[in-house]
Amino acid sequence: MPREAEISVNEREFIQKALQENIRRDGRDFDAFRPLELTFGDEYGVADVQLGKTRVIARISVDVVAPPPERKFDGVFQIITEFSPMASPAFEVGRPTDAEVILSRVLEKAIRRSNALDTESLCIIAGLKCFALRADVHIVDHDGGLIDASCIAVMAALQHFRRPDVLVEGEKATVLSVRERDPIPLSILHQPLSVTFSYYEEGNIWLVDADLAEEQVRQGEVIVTMNRHGEICQINKYGGAPVDPLDFLNLNNIALQKVKDMSKFIQQKLEEDAKRRDAGGLMAELSAENAR
Amino acid sequence: MAPEATLSHLHRADGSATYSHNGYCIIGAVNGPVEVMRRDELPEEATIEVNVRPAAGVGSPKERHLEMLLHNTLRGIILTRSIPRTLVQITLQVRSLPEEETSCGVSPSLIILPHLLHTALLALLSASIPLSTILTSTLIAIPANSSPLTSPTAPDLLRAKPIRSAHVFAFSADGKMLLNESDGTFNFEEWDEAAETAEQVCCRDEGGVGLGEGMEVDGQEGGNLDVWLREVVNKKVQWETRWKSAK
Repeated sequence: MPREAEISVNEREFIQKALQENIRRDGRDFDAFRPLELTFGDEYGVADVQLGKTRVIARISVDVVAPPPERKFDGVFQIITEFSPMASPAFEVGRPTDAEVILSRVLEKAIRRSNALDTESLCIIAGLKCFALRADVHIVDHDGGLIDASCIAVMAALQHFRRPDVLVEGEKATVLSVRERDPIPLSILHQPLSVTFSYYEEGNIWLVDADLAEEQVRQGEVIVTMNRHGEICQINKYGGAPVDPLDFLNLNNIALQKVKDMSKFIQQKLEEDAKRRDAGGLMAELSAENAR
Repeated sequence: MAPEATLSHLHRADGSATYSHNGYCIIGAVNGPVEVMRRDELPEEATIEVNVRPAAGVGSPKERHLEMLLHNTLRGIILTRSIPRTLVQITLQVRSLPEEETSCGVSPSLIILPHLLHTALLALLSASIPLSTILTSTLIAIPANSSPLTSPTAPDLLRAKPIRSAHVFAFSADGKMLLNESDGTFNFEEWDEAAETAEQVCCRDEGGVGLGEGMEVDGQEGGNLDVWLREVVNKKVQWETRWKSAK
């Protein structure tokens, strides 16, 4: 497998020099995201996110399994990130790179461990049957900002997904097909989203949403995950650049603003998609969702 | 209905294609020729690596089987000897599947095979990998109590259930059979007929040699795959050489 081509010394110096002069390669502000694009397919639970040239597809699928004996009242929720050579020839199937390990760890902490999804609602019969939900994250095009893009993709796909309804009679559970009853949305408790800050010049300069070349030049990164209410789910710092502790307060404020914007954007796209599906205006009557 | 294809839309891969047909949507990417690992290096030809990634979950034996079929077919058309000691890496990511895929009575790996072949070929063309010929492929399903179906959609198969046998054929541009995978019970006459129908769908008629004049017209109308493929490539070349025609 060829190694990822390292950025040349000239390019590295160019980017650093430009940053010292407060200029980014693509002319963005230091705290600006690249243009975000979110599309949903015909199926439920597939979100295609484009962040600049980065493209990530998240797909939610569901299965019925027996719950683990130590967690009888919970369903199963897994996030799977596996890089393929499609994103870069340096990625090899079955041999995770550092970036892949960090991505899956951050998504695990940000979405799964922060209880974004109410796993108890996936339980069908305690101890016997539950839904196993899996989110597959496919990296199609890699131009940096994978964590932010994956987080958006998974959260958008989770909110878009509809699981089949079940009919429970004593010990017997019947999964009703889409034709029998309209599938129901998942119960999402909050929507965590990540913002990655890249550090340069010994922690004096930071950027939001670095692209691949900027990522290769950076000295450190801080990943902040929070929901739109400003509740922080996790903060991660990788790399050696020193960061002033007081800076974190500033970062959180910026992250909050970005997360609010992104949440609003996802919500707007979800509403557009719902409107597109609800052509005859019958969705409200068909709904089998219980009011919480 | 003719398949839809978009070429060279990914930024990192050397060549890429998104192909959608009959409810299937597959993204293909090709990197090549690139540096090969020592243990995979072949002294006189290029190594070909095929990765098929399912829409949900990680690769299973079904994907390994498809990879093997694709590998063997594509090795026949890629001019591996002109790029020795290199690697051609083909990645095929299934993006969406029709809902009825699992319930239509034909092995899912057979239904998807023609789509994977087409995606791989388009991605190879987009990456400008030297090829000796192009290929086209189709699925023929023979239901128990109706006439054979050519490149049926999943709902078509569901309606025609039970399916007695299913055949996938791939042909090169000059009408040579490159691949045949069959499943179910069938006799030689049925197979022969299926192969002939597939050839009509896949290969462009050279004119004059046609067996039945009426069939030729049908083939053209129903979207001949060879004609479709040439159109796609034609569009790509036109787009890439637009600077020549600009005044």
